Amino acid sequence: MAKSKLKQIAIYGKGGIGKSTTTSNISAALVDAGYKVMQFGCDPKSDSTNTLRGGDYIPSVLDLLHENSRVDAHDAIFRGFGGVYCVEAGGPQPGVGCAGRGIIAAVQLLKQQDIFDELDLDYVIFDVLGDVVCGGFAVPIREGIAEHVFTISSADFMAIYAANNLFRGIQTYSNKGGALLGGVIANSINTDFQREILDDFVARTRTQVVEYVPRSLTVTQAELQGKTTIEAAPRSEQARIYRRLAQRIAEHTESTVPAPLSPQDLRSWSAGWADQLIEIERKSQHLAVAS
Amino acid sequence: MPINLKIPEAETREQRLGTITQWEGSAAQLARDSAFSYGCAKGCVTGGPEGGRRLCEQNSPFAQASMCAETIAVTNATIIQDSVVIQHSPIGCAASQSFTCRYYRDLAAQRGWALEDPQSLCSNLTERDMVFGGIAKLEQAIREAWDRHHPRVIFVATSCASGIIGDDVDGAAQRLEAEIGVPVVTLHCEGFKSKHWSSGWDVIEHGILRRLVKTERRNRRQDLVNVIHLGGPDVFTPLLAPLGLRVNLVMGGSSLDRLAAMSEAAATVTMCFVLSYLATGLEQEYGVPELKAPLPYGLAATDAWLRDIARATGREDRVETVIASERARIAPELARLRDRLSGKKGFVAAGAAFAHGLVADLRELGVTVDSAYSFHHDPSTDSGDPRQDSLTYLVETWGDIPHFTVSPDQHFQAHAALKRSKPDFVICRHSGTMAVLAARLGIPVLPIFYSNDGLGYEGLLTIGRAILRVLPRQRFYQDVASHSQFPYQPWWRDQTNPYALSADSSVA
Repeated sequence: MAKSKLKQIAIYGKGGIGKSTTTSNISAALVDAGYKVMQFGCDPKSDSTNTLRGGDYIPSVLDLLHENSRVDAHDAIFRGFGGVYCVEAGGPQPGVGCAGRGIIAAVQLLKQQDIFDELDLDYVIFDVLGDVVCGGFAVPIREGIAEHVFTISSADFMAIYAANNLFRGIQTYSNKGGALLGGVIANSINTDFQREILDDFVARTRTQVVEYVPRSLTVTQAELQGKTTIEAAPRSEQARIYRRLAQRIAEHTESTVPAPLSPQDLRSWSAGWADQLIEIERKSQHLAVAS
Repeated sequence: MPINLKIPEAETREQRLGTITQWEGSAAQLARDSAFSYGCAKGCVTGGPEGGRRLCEQNSPFAQASMCAETIAVTNATIIQDSVVIQHSPIGCAASQSFTCRYYRDLAAQRGWALEDPQSLCSNLTERDMVFGGIAKLEQAIREAWDRHHPRVIFVATSCASGIIGDDVDGAAQRLEAEIGVPVVTLHCEGFKSKHWSSGWDVIEHGILRRLVKTERRNRRQDLVNVIHLGGPDVFTPLLAPLGLRVNLVMGGSSLDRLAAMSEAAATVTMCFVLSYLATGLEQEYGVPELKAPLPYGLAATDAWLRDIARATGREDRVETVIASERARIAPELARLRDRLSGKKGFVAAGAAFAHGLVADLRELGVTVDSAYSFHHDPSTDSGDPRQDSLTYLVETWGDIPHFTVSPDQHFQAHAALKRSKPDFVICRHSGTMAVLAARLGIPVLPIFYSNDGLGYEGLLTIGRAILRVLPRQRFYQDVASHSQFPYQPWWRDQTNPYALSADSSVA
């Protein structure tokens, strides 16, 4: 494979939405396709890369910084499925310290030791916890780090609110030379209605859906074995979808500045969809009673 | 690992060099345990193959430094001519700038610059900025700096506050640089990053290397030598001019043109290896050789230093004449000084390589030194070259120092060290703690602000004369001592082990 420029990608989304699952499957699919990939978990829980390593936790960069005054960044890098490089930023226990500063310190350490160039990577994928809550969580999307950012959202309104909020963070930095929005990875999409809600949201915020990923038992089964779907069920339909998603992200070049909805617009937009949802529920109940 | 100039943040000294700020033992043991010889970055192996072990920080319940890396970075940016420094910080961090004003004016008087105050601003971060972000205020401060002063460069120094909230200072600097058209150089000097203030040197030198040095070396100036120093008078030109060399004196107050010209010089020498980040960076990025000879403290070291410069600049034919004539010039007075100082006992307190140099000077002058007090210790330098191992050089040339204390200028530890040594006089830098303490213990003290005083052949005379001026003041210091009290309990007042409070101290 010809030497290509390192592409850095950040994936954000509400907690519990399937970020790490999706990111790990993208990483697994990319290494499977022959790329050199690093997955960089930016979550104090340090569990982003578990399914790339048979369910194992790895020592995080901040664990090492906590115990040593000098840290060799190589000690924080572990190989996983297909040779993927796994790094966890780590962070403080809940309720203490500053997780945002932790991400700054961890990312800086790897950059200072020039790890990305040294490993000659094709892709670095940052898997970043939840919302852009403070400056530290925005580090991966600032100028000089990730070029493209993707958000993961389900059709659940809370997830969409979080995505909209993320767009505000992305808008702040993308106007200042930071990462641009590649699009939304629509997760847990099993009905047309869920698809329509997200399609409408991305249209209004001037972005796109990169892939629709259905909720699937295959994923759960794989995760229970400590594996990605790509590894555990490589021939499954779900694995095919993850591969397509990975390929789209790999081929993605043109990102844009999103147009987040104002809080007022977001409320009225979701209220409109809620009315439709209630209408559908009522009809289905009516049908159930009639039968 | 090479210096990484791709990113705006300099790696800390602890990370690059394994710097420690607390240690107690003999100089020989410290030299043996340092990374130059047997130390290692990983694993704490006691009794390695050569008897050394990994250099670990000594435990102490009180380990705070008495200065901040931010102060060093900010001060040394502020004293660069035609600059404005913006501290992106709460206003309290800017308190040190009153010192910088005095420092700048003093430098200006010495260098013949216009006697004026340096320019500096503070974005004055408040509670509201900590919650909502301070970038808008920083942008306003940069515009303000430009409108008011039209400097040739603007430095933006970060602070603990801006670092914790993660303000995108580099993004703002880039945008404003494009807007106003002069370099806006960021200095990442959050105080919490490093436990030692000397990391501030790396921060300002990192900024200079990345942004202010000429990247195109059109003219290689074979007669120009960069001299990186801590500030003070130019004692170098008299030494190097007879070799036909010009001195490009940098740091410690420089013009932007001098900083830019560094990449065109024939070689770089550093007057204290604590500042050698810049020299190593110049060699790595621009091919300007960094001379590694021991620092010119004492006759033999000065001879070797001059020979090294002569070798690098092709002036070997002249150097022996210069050495002989300099030695002959100072010989009569040196003999007189040695005669009068012989049998006296001195105590040295300064930072790392500078402390090692002062010990060499004192021993050259015939003074006994059994104790030294260094504010930090770097077990390695950025070049990794063992010739820069100034402590080993000192021990091999001048013998061991049985009591070598590394302490971040802690008053109570200095008290114990002085009690143990009972010197006739103290010679120190960073006079705030040590000079006052020594005086209150009734010990004559020679505080050195400008660290060039002890350098080269003339430096021996300068230091010797200064000691002789101080020694007769014993009565005065005894008077001070008789009116002084210390806030320690009797058991600590009698303590002679600076690390007696440490869990792993051999003395309870």
